[in-house]
Amino acid sequence: MKVKALLLSVLLVLGLLCGSAFAADTIKIGLLAPLTGFAAADGFSVLESVKLAVEKVNSTGGVLGKQVELVYYDDAADAKQSVPLAHKLIGQDKIVAFVAGSYSMPSRAVAPIFDEEEIPLVAAYALHPDLTNGEYCFRNGFLGTTEGRVAAYTALELFKAKKVSLITSDNDFGQTLSEGFTGYLKKVGREADLVLHQTYPGSEKDFKVYLSKIKDAAPDVVFFSGYYFQTGPGLKQAKEMGITNIRFIGEQGADSPKTPEIAGDAADGFVILTNLDRDDKRANVQEFLKDYRERHKIEPDMVGASAYDAFMIIIDAIKRSESTEGKKIRDAIATIKDYDGLTGIIQGFDENREVLKPVQLQEIKDGKFRHFGIVDDIELIKP
Amino acid sequence: MQLLFEQLLNGLAIGSIYALITLGLALVYGILGILHVAHAGVYAVGAYVGLWLYSLSGTLLLAIPGSMIVCAALGVAIERFVYFPLLKYPPYVPLISSIALFLGLEEVCRIVAGPDLLTFPAHLPFPSFTVGGVFVSSTLTAVYSVTAIVLVFLWFVTTKTEFGLAMRAASQDMEVASSLGVDSQRVVDATFVIGSAIAALAGILVGIYYNQVYPTMGAMPAYKTLALIVVGGMGSAPGAVLASILLGLGETLLIGFANIPMPRDALAFIAMIVVLMWKPTGLLGRK
Repeated sequence: MKVKALLLSVLLVLGLLCGSAFAADTIKIGLLAPLTGFAAADGFSVLESVKLAVEKVNSTGGVLGKQVELVYYDDAADAKQSVPLAHKLIGQDKIVAFVAGSYSMPSRAVAPIFDEEEIPLVAAYALHPDLTNGEYCFRNGFLGTTEGRVAAYTALELFKAKKVSLITSDNDFGQTLSEGFTGYLKKVGREADLVLHQTYPGSEKDFKVYLSKIKDAAPDVVFFSGYYFQTGPGLKQAKEMGITNIRFIGEQGADSPKTPEIAGDAADGFVILTNLDRDDKRANVQEFLKDYRERHKIEPDMVGASAYDAFMIIIDAIKRSESTEGKKIRDAIATIKDYDGLTGIIQGFDENREVLKPVQLQEIKDGKFRHFGIVDDIELIKP
Repeated sequence: MQLLFEQLLNGLAIGSIYALITLGLALVYGILGILHVAHAGVYAVGAYVGLWLYSLSGTLLLAIPGSMIVCAALGVAIERFVYFPLLKYPPYVPLISSIALFLGLEEVCRIVAGPDLLTFPAHLPFPSFTVGGVFVSSTLTAVYSVTAIVLVFLWFVTTKTEFGLAMRAASQDMEVASSLGVDSQRVVDATFVIGSAIAALAGILVGIYYNQVYPTMGAMPAYKTLALIVVGGMGSAPGAVLASILLGLGETLLIGFANIPMPRDALAFIAMIVVLMWKPTGLLGRK
């Protein structure tokens, strides 16, 4: 019995060794995404978009003469699941770089692990400020403060609002959003025009209570932050309550085809701050949108495009540094300049490894996200 | 004043939805003394079956009764195959199995229908009107009407029929009732049929109301209804309804006028703790 067990384990070890010997012919990039659980729709978009990126790289000869292999696992947007998977990606799969394609909590939990191992990490869309604490951790999404600031600018300057209101969730994201929003109002001396600031618990789906107060305060523009499963019903309820003369603006949490699907025609005229412009004329964007739509018969979205870019930023850095060494890839990411990404021209990363790129404004028209505007004033978009 | 009135109407709608989900739990506890956590799973299944039948037939007239029948059968199956064999054990045994069953039902919904949130694009044909400058939307009148119909039906069944008498007798003491000729198995079955059918109705109503159906939609009701039956008085259906409406109003007023950065879900549990400390029998509980 003992001999058998020994033989078996030797075989197993040999098998594992063989596996990694073969794998050395490819360059492995890791990805964690929420493929199941409440965020599964986002996980699907992330994985399928990155797969398109992998195919594009491999069909044009790979990188450094090798094919790229994507190693991905499902973290269910749960920090308890992401941590062991991060160790697996490092210890067993031997990845050279990592795309954080999940939400803030699971991504934040694994960021220090990759940082410690000197494996570069690019977060696709997760928002928590602490994510980029490590020298090896970059973010290809906007911080809450940036989005809040641009939202306030959009309300006051683009919509010429005389009175504004703010609805945010009571978590840290809502907190940073409102800091950015009120910070801008303070800067331009219009704090008094914020007539109502309401916070809601993260599980909220019934916004009538908040909307009744909004109706009473009668602002011109409301910055309504939240995911599609919140802004969708929220907009629908607003229309049912007869609120038609108030403009709602949202952020990237609402960047999902589900928002107009849930809200129906109540979503028309909803403007969101995001980082994918569906009407972007550049060939790479149109090619991505076309491929994704053809393959999946659904609309691509912000999280997918951001993950695609995060992956491509890593590939670009491997190419430029001509190395798969963590330190060299990291330095190459840090010095990226005017990279032509799906989510706009990425000007580069600042000293805190936060991305510098324009904020896209999209408006829902007939159930589709369309170009509304672009904010590229460096004073507004810098983190 | 107008704002207060509007907020009360909003709160009444939230409370009505709580009441529809909590009723089944209160009925089951009243008869069997089991905390039927899986009831929230039946509610989610009801929403899914309703959506499925609606997308097949295109009419709620088929989807609603169809889903109610499926859930009634599911409820009876749970009672016969899970709770009944476990009744001889201490109450925590059926409770644990109920929690397991709830998680299982959630997973079944996820595996069968996929993890994505689905929309329920049906329209409830109810009127909207304006009273004293306050606009009452058609979704609000839909929620009020459905809840009122269910409550009147239940009140009639439990107080005006022979079956209702048997039900009340069984809930007071099943053995004595049986010895006096009450068919207690039938009463228990019927309780699960009624409770589960109402849960299906609630699932469909909530699905249309928020235009979303998703596997974990029972998670919040699963624990909030527990707090509500404690506040209402364990096993008291009128108490559960009263507690639900009060909670809906309380949550709404708290958010509407205080803007306290506290999760509204906490209010149910604060109420539960207060009730347990000062009036352990609940608002309308007996004993």
